[in-house]
Amino acid sequence: MSDTIELLNAIGQDATLRHASADELAPILEQAKASEALKSAVAAGDSSLLFEELGHKPNHAPQITNAPGHEEEEEEEEHHDGDHKPHHPSEPDHHKPHKQ
Amino acid sequence: MDTLTTPPSNDTPRGSLACVGMGMTLGSHLTPLARSHIEQADVVFAALSDGIVELWLQRMHPDVRSLQPYYAEGKSRMVTYRQWVELMMTEVRAGKKVCGVFYGHPGIFAWSPHKVIEVARAEGFAAHMEPGISAEDCLYADLGIDPGRLGCQHFEASQLLFYERRIDPTGYLILWQVGLVGDLSLKRFSTGPAYRQVLVDVLSQDYPLDHEVIIYRGVTLPIQKPRIHRIVLRDLPNATLTAEETVVLPPAAPLKLNLAMRERLMELDKAYSVA
Ligand SMILES: C[S@@+](CC[C@H](N)C(=O)[O-])C[C@H]1O[C@@H](n2cnc3c(N)ncnc32)[C@H](O)[C@@H]1O
Repeated sequence: MSDTIELLNAIGQDATLRHASADELAPILEQAKASEALKSAVAAGDSSLLFEELGHKPNHAPQITNAPGHEEEEEEEEHHDGDHKPHHPSEPDHHKPHKQ
Repeated sequence: MDTLTTPPSNDTPRGSLACVGMGMTLGSHLTPLARSHIEQADVVFAALSDGIVELWLQRMHPDVRSLQPYYAEGKSRMVTYRQWVELMMTEVRAGKKVCGVFYGHPGIFAWSPHKVIEVARAEGFAAHMEPGISAEDCLYADLGIDPGRLGCQHFEASQLLFYERRIDPTGYLILWQVGLVGDLSLKRFSTGPAYRQVLVDVLSQDYPLDHEVIIYRGVTLPIQKPRIHRIVLRDLPNATLTAEETVVLPPAAPLKLNLAMRERLMELDKAYSVA
């Protein structure tokens, strides 16, 4: 059986495979001796079927927060009155507008 | 092809830091330079949104430490993000070449990569951010939006509720982290319909309730298809929406000519005799 991560990597970097339909991929996966999990994930269009082989680690996506009251420690004292300036925690210089 | 090798150095190791983007899609987006940062690091820290992408990263380096376990329901995410900064800095201070790997672009809607680079530089260490292909980039491609055509505002959805912001409905509005909109505690990973209703109420000041809303999920594995779900604004509270989806509101009004400025420019053209 082929290594599923390597096969996914190969599909991800090949212009034909990356955009191939499930029907087009099926014989290619067969020939490459893909795992049953990968073959059924592609056939069903459901990548969660890979969890059976690779395990499932639910990962969290959020990485930012703009909530008042959670700013840098240094600033926290200044804002106990609840009058939060609209600043951004990731902005070291709060006088500059956040540019992204 | 010529190959270049880095000369060995006799200096005592000096810690350094690189925060790199993994891109969104396994196999498709990692840049050669980001990969090199990963391979040449002593220690790699990873904050990726897909567990399978994390397995792929582990193929590139023997010491990949996931930052995911530091998240916990009921624990402020700000505490988690500060821990990430400390974990990375501890290794930098110990003289290690550290690479922080973040999904997408490490500097887009991500607090700790910017922070850890700031801290490392303040302590005199070399620190660098290497861009990656973000959810935003995939969104433009999959939805066929050019942010330069009508303009494009991006907000963390919660910011529209916590602060008074000015929305320009003649351009695109892109909302991030709608799945946890309105979470003041920072301790939850999803809020729910009642919180999203507050968002809809805010948005309804600028958009009609039957305005189109696109819920978008770009692919993280190369065997997936993007999810593009079109609904109307009033249905947003009860729509299926995960923390890794982005919400797009197309423009609701046409651009308005600025007659006064055009007048002024024409005067200038006359003065400079280009008219
Ligand atoms: C904290 S941000 C991190 C963004 C990341 N640094 C990047 O460059 O794309 C998390 C938000 O990114 C967006 N996001 C993450 N994964 C996504 C995906 N696969 N498709 C669309 N949007 C995504 C969602 O809005 C999510 O709430």
